[in-house]
Amino acid sequence: MVVSTLATHASRWRRDGLFHVAGLLTSIVAMVLWTTGVIVSLTLAITYVGLAATLWTLLAMRWLARVERRRAAIVLGAPIEERYRPLSDAPRWSARLHALIGERATWRDFAWTAGWGWIGCAFSTLAIGLWVAVLGLIAMPTWYWAVPGGAKLGILQVDSFALALASTAAGLALAPLCGLLVRATTRAELAMMNGVLRPRDDAADAEADATAVPAHEPAAPPLAPSFELHVALALLTGLVIAVIWAAAGGGYFWPVWVWFGLAITVGVHLIAVRAWHAHRDPVRSLRIKADAYALISAVCWVIWALSGGGYLWPFWPMLGMGTALALRALWVYRERLPWLREQALVERVDVLTRTRQGALNVQAAELRRIERDLHDGAQARLVALSMQLGRAEERLGDQPDIAALVRGAREDAGLAISELRDLARGIAPPILADRGLAAAIEALARRSTIDITIDADPDRRPLPVVETAAYFVVAEALTNVAKHAGGANAHVSVTLEDDVLVLEIADHGPGGADPGGGGLTGLRSRVEALDGRLVVTSPPGGGTTVRAELPCER
Amino acid sequence: MRAVIVEDLALLREGIVALLRENGIDVVAQAEDGPGLERIVAGHKPDVAIVDVRLPPTFTDEGLRAAVEARRRHPELGVLVLSQYVEPVYTTELLASGEAGVGYLLKERVGEVRAFIEAVQRVADGGTALDREVVAELMRARQADGDPDDALASLTPREREVLELMAEGRTNAAVARALVVTGGAVEKHVRNIFAKLDLTASDDDHRRVLAVLAYLRADAG
Repeated sequence: MVVSTLATHASRWRRDGLFHVAGLLTSIVAMVLWTTGVIVSLTLAITYVGLAATLWTLLAMRWLARVERRRAAIVLGAPIEERYRPLSDAPRWSARLHALIGERATWRDFAWTAGWGWIGCAFSTLAIGLWVAVLGLIAMPTWYWAVPGGAKLGILQVDSFALALASTAAGLALAPLCGLLVRATTRAELAMMNGVLRPRDDAADAEADATAVPAHEPAAPPLAPSFELHVALALLTGLVIAVIWAAAGGGYFWPVWVWFGLAITVGVHLIAVRAWHAHRDPVRSLRIKADAYALISAVCWVIWALSGGGYLWPFWPMLGMGTALALRALWVYRERLPWLREQALVERVDVLTRTRQGALNVQAAELRRIERDLHDGAQARLVALSMQLGRAEERLGDQPDIAALVRGAREDAGLAISELRDLARGIAPPILADRGLAAAIEALARRSTIDITIDADPDRRPLPVVETAAYFVVAEALTNVAKHAGGANAHVSVTLEDDVLVLEIADHGPGGADPGGGGLTGLRSRVEALDGRLVVTSPPGGGTTVRAELPCER
Repeated sequence: MRAVIVEDLALLREGIVALLRENGIDVVAQAEDGPGLERIVAGHKPDVAIVDVRLPPTFTDEGLRAAVEARRRHPELGVLVLSQYVEPVYTTELLASGEAGVGYLLKERVGEVRAFIEAVQRVADGGTALDREVVAELMRARQADGDPDDALASLTPREREVLELMAEGRTNAAVARALVVTGGAVEKHVRNIFAKLDLTASDDDHRRVLAVLAYLRADAG
């Protein structure tokens, strides 16, 4: 059991070690490639040779990225998936470069080369350094004698075999700790690889810019053991190193460099965790970038401070990163820029206007359908029922008590029919659907208690939703006239001017109507729902005019 | 008596046919739409046509238009319109379209079998059958129009009742039955009403009904 666990761990540590040794090599290649490639390409950019340099640089980066994906196989067992379009074999270099630049994978490779060139060395050196130190301790008996006066270990001078053996024991004890730390750096590195090198669906990528909802989380090795463990180990190591420094008799406080390295791994781990959970949301990814830039700036400042100050060089990378971050933020929040926002709002209003119109039309059509269904369905059945009951009643002439029961049932059916009739009339009076607005207004006038003259002759029928609204405006306005204008005459005019239905209901009453009155408020919301306008003019002593304008295009 | 019926809902059409046949009225043809009315009227020469207002293809006032047209073309034909609702405009159009028997009833009146059959017979005989809701609308409109000293206002409640029953198209005898009074009492009320409304009295029931309706519609048309 113990042996097999140990074997498992040893195998894992060995693979981690190989991974980091390879990583050290690739990071050096990446740094050289990125620096020279970019500098050469930019320097020659204005010439045709610049195009070739760019093309070859990008191809070299692709090669490096493919190597890196295979390097992951050392710990993952299988290389990270890759997806490239076939290389263009166009005769012109510019066309080939164009095809290459248009490919998302190219930019993944570019990003990886740049990023790994920056931090890969630190990562790998840290991991390798830890193992070298531990293995050195373990192997002490084989080499201490080669150092004149014995190997120096802090304040301890290893100059006897016994001490060398003790050092081996200490090394063995520290090995698991070292293994865990290296494991953490491996995980952080894999997380970065997943974020940058693993291809995603291009369509999903494009979509990710538009929506913040992840369609699916890509499969990847989990990040546990957690960040907290990493922090704890870093603190412990930092403490041990400080103790060793103290035991070695003080002097130049070199542990600060170790702390610095540990802090970097913790910072990178933190960013990796956050990036892992947020890579599909542009705003959150912006925050991750800000985190990364802050970490890099902090590293620069610490290096500047530890190396004794002097020329304030960290200012330059900060300026560069700040500019990049600002540009990125501008891009992410571009919709909030006033002029773009205005454009977006105009489009939104357009869409809303259209959909609201559609919704209202659908609603009006639906109401008329309900009205027809009532007529053909429930009402017809109730009439049939009432008829059957009537026939039954006729045959029960010799049984008056039962006949009375049946009559009661028939009268109830009659009440139900008349309630349904009122309901249907509230949706839209039948004459409006049958004959249109002019006829419906004439019918209103006929029922009204006041003298009404009508001037209504629209040459075509507006949409049902507009027609119904117009009808209820006129009906309500005429009711108000009858109620408040003391028997005055009223005049109704309906005209269709440039796709706007204009209704005017004027009376010669005392005026002074309250435009916020209950009836008028209801009318106003009916009219405004159709983007119309309702104006009430009612000077005291000057009569009242209600004017409604209802747009009825489309 | 020979009748035809135009109604698009089979449920109602068949029910009404059964009802009429049970009461000795011969239903000679049925149709389901406006053009169908003209066809069966021309083909069967019935005494009375019973027509639903709302018919295919438009499902608006198709039936009413067909009824008005049928009254114009066949001056002897009685037309009884059935409707789901009361619309005074339609009543007016229907009454104005001819001299022969005419009726406008809410559909649910078919449940009041005796009254319905009487109405059908009255219309077939050249009389009038207006729904009480229609009469109420006409009275409202007449009153609404008028000045405060309108003649209608001078009627006693009993006289109003008599007037309304007459406007529905009922004979004196039927009015007397409905109000449970003697024929003589109804005669007396009718004389008073005609005097107050300044109408020419007549012995003929149908003419008196027409006079009352003409009075009620005077300002409405």
